[in-house]
Amino acid sequence: MIGSGIKRGTAELAVLSVLQDGPLHGYELARRIEQQTNGALRFTLAALYPMLYRMEQQRWIRGSWETSANGRKRRCYRLTPAGKKKLSPLQREWAELFDALQRLTKAAHA
Amino acid sequence: MHNWEELVRQRLAGLDLDAAEKEEVQAEVAAHLEESYEALLKEGVTEPAAVQRALSQVTNWRDLQRRIFIAKRKGHFMKKRVYQLWIPGFLTLILSVVLQMMLQRLGFRVRIVGSGPNAILFYVPWLAGLPFFGALGAYLSSRAGGSRGTMVLASVFPVLALAGAFLLLFPIDVVVKWIIGSKVDSFAIVATTILRDGTGWLLLPGASLLAGGLLGQLLLSRGPSSQHTAIGSETTHA
Repeated sequence: MIGSGIKRGTAELAVLSVLQDGPLHGYELARRIEQQTNGALRFTLAALYPMLYRMEQQRWIRGSWETSANGRKRRCYRLTPAGKKKLSPLQREWAELFDALQRLTKAAHA
Repeated sequence: MHNWEELVRQRLAGLDLDAAEKEEVQAEVAAHLEESYEALLKEGVTEPAAVQRALSQVTNWRDLQRRIFIAKRKGHFMKKRVYQLWIPGFLTLILSVVLQMMLQRLGFRVRIVGSGPNAILFYVPWLAGLPFFGALGAYLSSRAGGSRGTMVLASVFPVLALAGAFLLLFPIDVVVKWIIGSKVDSFAIVATTILRDGTGWLLLPGASLLAGGLLGQLLLSRGPSSQHTAIGSETTHA
């Protein structure tokens, strides 16, 4: 069972990483994460929006209404300077964690 | 064509946010459901099944409503508490302490009225200055949209902090004396000290600060509503 802290950490990392490439609205953001992780990470609507609003409160992302080419209004999220600042240590921490886990599993199988 | 906006409006009707913010959340969630539904239709899923699958993303609407509320309001509550209570309260405390230190340097001494166990400490110049700080605390809290209760708390904050320190120090003093084997004060001595120090350092300054705070509230309620200033800051988003 993955703890809620780890789940939240991976979810935040996923959102920040995807938004690094440019602004996206909620549905597209969830779709990109699912695609880029080959379905390993999937966000339902119920999980996505409370997290986006929390990250917005923390000022890591900023949402604003935009009208798409087909005339639809969508709330697009973009990375703020604080979010960019948060992303690099987060990426490093997770990379270190996965490296450590990999070393551990390799040692266990050796 | 499914009316997603109406559906979401009904399911998230109890979302306790301001009207504009609530409408934004409902529109955003509805747009997400609509896109999910349309994507499923494009994949060849039948309409009833697409509706069902889009809706299956939310198993408990009440829980979603609660989690959205917490996410939207957590930072907001903390920010409000800081501006409405902590900043005005600590400013009142700092100014009260600075005034007391200045008066002591200027040679104003504490006056003891009465003698023996019934003696009460009076620091008249300090007590005379405190209503201004009480009023300032109430004014700053009011500017940040504080309720009447928060304004009162902000104005009497110095005595609350002092009372907290008193409550903490008395048991520590008793424990320390007990450990080092010194004679622990009898209940009568402790009660007399509480009465004397409590009256001189808590009750009288508290009344003085409260008088200033209430006067400030009264003056503010006569002027143009300070709540308008606060509402503007409440709707500011990240």
